Amino acid sequence: MIEFDQEPPRRQFETLIPLINVVFLLLIFFLLAGTMQPADNVAVTLPKGALNDKERELPATLIVEADGFVWLGDRVMDAKLAGHFVKQHLGEEGARRVAVKADRDAPAEAVLELMEGLREAGVEQVTLVTERGS
Amino acid sequence: MFEEPVRRRGMASLTPLIDVVFLLLIFFMLTTSFLQTQSLAVVTPAPSADELPTDARVIEIWLLGDETIAIDGQPVARDVLAESLKQAIGERTDLTVTILAEKGSKTQALIAAIEAARQSGAKSVGTARVERIAR
Repeated sequence: MIEFDQEPPRRQFETLIPLINVVFLLLIFFLLAGTMQPADNVAVTLPKGALNDKERELPATLIVEADGFVWLGDRVMDAKLAGHFVKQHLGEEGARRVAVKADRDAPAEAVLELMEGLREAGVEQVTLVTERGS
Repeated sequence: MFEEPVRRRGMASLTPLIDVVFLLLIFFMLTTSFLQTQSLAVVTPAPSADELPTDARVIEIWLLGDETIAIDGQPVARDVLAESLKQAIGERTDLTVTILAEKGSKTQALIAAIEAARQSGAKSVGTARVERIAR
């Protein structure tokens, strides 16, 4: 009969070390690879786009929901009236450029209506936020 | 008098460490986002469609209510929109590209049209929304 050497029973922490290694690795991966952003009030699915103008640090972000309503901060408003609110919120000077996060399923006319209202309020340039990919 | 403190054997228990690391891991997994956003700058449009030129030097992109796109009445697929527009414009880069959004068209189509207009090399781009495009 062949006899094998009995493996000595391992102590508990020794078997846990590979697990800890992997978990640490994952932890460091998420620390380095991810970016943390403050969450918006409303979640929108951004439309896909190909161009990037790299506009950053815009004073205000308007969010257009899929049903066409517009959010500025924690206030919800009609697309037609948003220009007035932006003016009130930022003053004449602060609102030359604003960012617009529109849902990809939002009606295009709501976005256009919003941009027209913004022009009347003195906003010269609107930055539409898109997701990379085409 | 007092009992000798019990000597711990070897390494202290690893369980609390693992607990904390798992907690941190789950925290970072939930809070990070890998979404890459980009920005598309557009000049705000004229308040009414009347200000847009309507003569022959205009090329129109129609965003139709059934989520299709047409250039001057010719339906085009969304992924070849930029090329078709470039072809339609050809050398005449002084043309104005007008984007007409019909009721029911979506923002995704609008973004595609704006990007196509930008890439086509046209000097000016206008937008307007209309109830229904007369075909």
